[in-house]
Parts: sequence; C-alpha cells; structure tokens
Amino acid sequence: MSDAKNKNTKNENALTNASANASANAPLLHARDLQKTYRLGQVNVPVLRGADFAIARGEWVAILGSSGSGKSTLLHLLGLLDEPDPLSGGLWFEGKPVTALRGTARNHYRNRLVGFVFQFYHLLPELNVLENSLLPCKVGAGLMGWPSARAAARQRTIELLHGFGLSDRLNHRPRELSGGERQRVAIARALANQPQLLLADEPTGNLDARTGGEILDMIAQLHRKGLSIAMVTHDPAVAARADRIVHLTDGKVTG
Amino acid sequence: MYAFQLANRYLTSRIIPVIAVAAVALCVALVVIVVSVMSGFLDMLKSSGRTLMGDVVINYPVRGLPWYDELISTIEALPEAAAATALVDTYGLIRMPYPQGSDKEIVTANVWGIEPKSFERVTDFSKSLYWKPAHDEAAAKAMAPDDPRLSLSPQIEKDGLSLQQSGTNEPGMVMGIHVSIVNDRLRDGTYRTRYGWFMPDQRVTLTLVPISGKGTVAEPRERIFPVVNEFRSGVYQIDKNRVMIPLTEAQRLLRLDAGTLYDMEAPPNADGSQPVLGKSPARVHRVLVRAKLGVSPDVLREAVEVAYERFYAKAMADQSKVVKPPRRDMVSILTWEQHLRDLIGPVEKEREMMRILFSIVYLVCAGLVLSIFWAIVQEKSRDIGILRSIGASRPGVLWIFLQYGLVIGMVGGLVGVGLGYIVIHNINAIHEVIGEDAPRWSWIAAFACSVVALAMALRGAFCGSILRSLLWMVTALTLMIVGVGLLAHRGTLIWDPAVYYFSSIPDKVDWLTAAITWVGAVVFSVLGASVPAAKAADIDPVKALRYE
Repeated sequence: MSDAKNKNTKNENALTNASANASANAPLLHARDLQKTYRLGQVNVPVLRGADFAIARGEWVAILGSSGSGKSTLLHLLGLLDEPDPLSGGLWFEGKPVTALRGTARNHYRNRLVGFVFQFYHLLPELNVLENSLLPCKVGAGLMGWPSARAAARQRTIELLHGFGLSDRLNHRPRELSGGERQRVAIARALANQPQLLLADEPTGNLDARTGGEILDMIAQLHRKGLSIAMVTHDPAVAARADRIVHLTDGKVTG
Repeated sequence: MYAFQLANRYLTSRIIPVIAVAAVALCVALVVIVVSVMSGFLDMLKSSGRTLMGDVVINYPVRGLPWYDELISTIEALPEAAAATALVDTYGLIRMPYPQGSDKEIVTANVWGIEPKSFERVTDFSKSLYWKPAHDEAAAKAMAPDDPRLSLSPQIEKDGLSLQQSGTNEPGMVMGIHVSIVNDRLRDGTYRTRYGWFMPDQRVTLTLVPISGKGTVAEPRERIFPVVNEFRSGVYQIDKNRVMIPLTEAQRLLRLDAGTLYDMEAPPNADGSQPVLGKSPARVHRVLVRAKLGVSPDVLREAVEVAYERFYAKAMADQSKVVKPPRRDMVSILTWEQHLRDLIGPVEKEREMMRILFSIVYLVCAGLVLSIFWAIVQEKSRDIGILRSIGASRPGVLWIFLQYGLVIGMVGGLVGVGLGYIVIHNINAIHEVIGEDAPRWSWIAAFACSVVALAMALRGAFCGSILRSLLWMVTALTLMIVGVGLLAHRGTLIWDPAVYYFSSIPDKVDWLTAAITWVGAVVFSVLGASVPAAKAADIDPVKALRYE
C-alpha cells in the first residue's frame, strides 16, 4: 500500500520535474500510434487505428472530424480518461510517458495538467457557479490541504469568473444560467487549477452561432495568454479559429 | 472536502433522503419500543420478585423445617445476610363476607403465615400495604378528593403491619388487593370500594387443610380473621391470590406448631398415657433471607448453604433433639431469581427472540438505503463521470456515498430513538386512549378531510394532472380507512394485567438497547450504502459522460 503510494508520488514528481526540465522544442503533448477498439456484442469496432498527434506549448490545434470519427475518443485518451488498446502506442506529456500512470498520479494529471470542457457543459446541478468552478481545487487539495489552499483558490476563481463576465452569477445554480453562461462556467472550472492544456470537446456544439462565437473569442483570448488548446469539432468554421487544423479520418490523424 | 459538500447537497436538495431517514427512524423506534417494554417488564418482574421474597429462599414444603429459629440465628450471624424470616406457605379457602345472605362467595387463596417484624426486614412488606392515610400534606394533595384513603386513621397501617386488630387484639389477615371483588382499580392506579364494601372492616373465614407427616390429609381447620388491611405488590397474580396471616396462627391451623412427641409403639405408662419421646418443634415451609447491601444473591446463597450444613451438623449432634432437620440435599436453597425461573425464564427467552426477530429490521434498513442509493447513483452517474474527469479518485467518490449512508443512519437512528422515547414515555396514556372508544370528532374529522382530499383529486383530474389526482385519491382513501377504523374502534385492552402480571406497562427506555440499535442502524445504513458507493466508484467516466 505504502509502496504504491510512494510510486504514485514519484510519478507525480516525475511529471512536475518533467515540466520544469522539458526542452522548449519538445511538444507539450505527444501521442503516437494510439489505437482504440470498442466491442459491440460479438463485433470489434476499431475507432482509432494508430492516431499520431502532437501539440506544442502555447499552440491551439483543432481536430476536425465527422460525427463518429472518434474525435471524442481521441480527446478522452489525451486526457487519460480512457485507455488505448494494449500493445498500441502511448502518450507523452512534456516528454514523459503518461499512459501507464495509475491511481493518484493519473488523478493528478487530470486535475492539474489538463482541463476538460465538454459540449454539454457537465456542471453539477446541486452546486452554484462558484462551487462548480472551485471543484477541481477542492479535489486537488484534499481534505487536509483545502483549509490552507481555500483562500487563494477562491480569489483566483472569482477573478477568473469576473473575467468571464460572471461576477453577478456566483451564487446561481446552473439551471438559472443560459447555455453560453454555463459553458463559460465550465471553462472557468477547467482552468481553476491553471492547467497547461485545455481539452475542449465541441465547446460550441450546443450553442447558437452568436454565443458560440463569443465562447470561441474567449478561448482565443486564453490562447493569446499562452494556454495550449486541443479542440475537437465537426465544424470547419469553428476549426478555422485554431492555429492548426488536423483531420481525423478512418481512425488516423492527417494534415 | 468536495465529498462532504456533495454528500451534504445530495442530502438536502431532494426528498428521497428524507424518506430514507424516516424509514430508518421507524425501524429503530420499533426495536427500541418493543425491547424497552420487554426489558422493563423483566425488570419489574425481577424487582417485585425480590421485594416479595428477599434474596435467597430456603424451601422445604409440606412437612416443614424444624428448629428454624436456630437456622435463622445461624444465618443472621452471617456477614452476608441482613435479615431472615420464617414463612408458612399453603393453600386455603376463604369465605368472603359478600354477598348479603347465606350464599357467601368462597375463593381459594395462597396463604402465607408470616412473622410481621422479621418479614418486614426481609421484604419491605410495609411499602406494599395499600390502605394507609396520607403521611403529609403533599401526599394528601396528590390524592383525588374521593380517594377513601384520605379519611383513614393511621391505626389501619399499624394493624396491617402487625397483623393484629387493634382493640380486640385478634390476629388479623392482610389480603391481596384483588383477592376480593370489591376493590375497583382506576386508570391512575388508585382504588375505590364498590357496593359499599370496605374489606378492612370485614371478617372472613379461612379454612386450611393440615397434612400429616405421612402425607395424609387431616381434618380441615377453620378460623375467622378480621381483615386488617390489603396489600398491592404490583404483580397481579400475587395480588389476586395471596393473603397473609400471623405465622403462629398458620402453624396452629396446619398443625405445624410445637408439641410433645409421644412414643406410640411403646407400652403405655401407668396413668395410661404414652411415654414422651421429646419435644416436637414448630415448623415452617420456608426461610427467606435478605442480603446485606452490595452482596449479590448468589454469594449469599453459597453462604446460606454453608450455614445450613453447619446448622444440620449441630442439630444431628444434639442428643436432646429427637426431631432432626432434613439433609441438605432434601432442601432447596435458591436465589429469588432461580426460584422464579419458571416465570423469568420464558420472558427472558421471549425478549431474546424479539431481539433476534427485530434484528431483521437492520436488514430492512440496509435494503432501503441500498435501493435508494442505487437509484441515486444511477441518476448521478454523469456527475460521477465529471468528478472523475477533474481528477477525483475512486475512494473519493466512494466516500461521498458512504458519508451519505452514515448521515442517514445517524440522523434516522437519532430520530428513531427520540420517537421511541416519546412513545415509551407515554405508553400508558396511549394504551388508555386505545382502551377507549374513539371520540366522535376524530372519525368525523377523518371523513371530512377525506372528502376534501377527494375534491382535490377531482380538481387534479380536471386540471389534467394524473399524478396529483392519484396522490389526492390515495390520501382520500387512507383517511377514509382511518375514519372507518376509528368509527369501528371499540376500546381494546391490549395489556391485560391477568396475562402480564403487572397493572401498568413499563415506561422506561432501555438505553443500552437504544444505543445498540442506533449503532446497528448506522452500521447497516453504511453497509447498505457501500454497494451503490462501490458501484459509483467503479463507474467508467467515459461511459458516464457519453452524450447518448
């Protein structure tokens, strides 16, 4: 038990050191030969057939693909929410392999290094705007660490929400917000722990064109401040806002 | 931290946890009420047994124990014993003074011949005497204005304690309060006399049947006793059957008194009388012993056994004693608890049975929490996916739901213990209400509310809400059933003193059981929550977040 814990702590340290020592040329995140097969009854359905993907520090990459092409699957693999097929390739964050991370180190990766934004916002209905946005800080700090981390996290998150134009919405529940507001809260939550990479899954997919445009403006602004963003979308117009567009076709990343 | 926050929000933002808390509370209240009443009943049985017979009983029925005075002084010399008293225990017939005319009622009774002073030292007999005037102002105020005890003279208590009628100095009888039919027990536990009969003014005829040493029945003997007082032990069977008379009178009537022993087989003396063998001592059936404060009945019993052996050896060695006491193994020396085993044993077993049966309630708790949480986890699987996506660990997710179960168990258990306390505290009042016909307003109100609910159901139907209409319909039906139940209710006596020995239901909470039940409810709620919690921890975040 304690061995496992030590190992996890080592992994975490390895990750943190990795970010400090990484050379400027190495991609922030690098995926090689990712394969993912889903099993539907007796049939194996390959979704990713050896996808290679890399994103440099400070880059905004749009992954463009049609519905069912495996865009979300790729994003889940990049965020360590899902596991690639055994014997397939792997994932390197700042040059360090992360596919094999388990337990605390894996949770730490999801909590600190990347931030997720989903098409359907995925806010917790029982919590208000501020509580939803603070959730990753609470999860990361743990029961013992939270009292000391609370004040700083709260101030940072309130500033973030203020920047997103949500100052007067802090105590509102998600059901009292518009779609655009909800997505802004979701982005604030993703950024609460100051991750290095934002993973956005069709962030404008559920919004009308104008609100979607506002969200993209916000993302662009964050990008200008140096945030790395991997965004999947089926909409070429949305993808056009990114620095670089890659296509996901037949389970492979091209272009 | 987030686990606390989420568990708290899940608890306070929906109705299901309230239902779970209510269910756990009802289960706990059920166990607390049933076991407390049973335990209270057992305690009453034990304490009254002890007050009635002391701590240790030496029993040698029918033939009787000779030289009991010496045995008592041997026992009273023991450091463990506080007092000892001799007792004659037999059955007899009592001819009552009522009704008017020649056909008087005759009842059978358990007759105890007692020596009042030492009996009082062993059993607190004086406390059970019922007819005594109020000793002070406060006691007088506590009595109802029509309580006959208010007009009694203090002499009646003295007569009862000495078993002797003042004035005539005749030996008197103290009866159990329910031996005669003239005492009417009111709800508050006090008595009124009926038909103008007050037993302590009356005389009764007692007939006893002596049994010879050979086991044959001798000529019955009778004697008229003035009733000097009545006692109430609280144990219905005893109050219904037992009467007490002075020991010497009982011995005389049963031919257990002292006499001269003649040698019937030797040739007669010159004057025609048989030669004298020696003195035949008076005998008693029982010796009751009370332990000194802090001495357990079992310790006293062992000491009394040794004392009996000493008494026996001394009597055997004494050549002047023609009549010898029975050997140790012919005499039973038991603690009061062992003596009443026939009575206490089944009740104890019954209580344990109840405990086991009602432990199933815990499983109900666990099942309830499990099914409710299963539904919540199902509904909240997306939230769990979100939490995992932002780095929440599996134990963290597990902890949210375990905490949820913990709180439901703790709160439900506390509410249940509170509910149990309220019911037990008022159990005699509740029993009284059940014992009477339902008041007219209660069923009229139930029917009126039912009609209102029916109207609401119709309104709901017209407004097109099937659910609302159905809920009102169910309410109307329930109220209707309650109304019919109240209308049909004719006072039911649930706690029959003839069956349960005591005239009132025990109303003390068994706090140990309450604590154990509470802990059980908490443990089983957490156990019930653990299965859905583990399911929640195992949820694959990718599947939970999938849009379809």
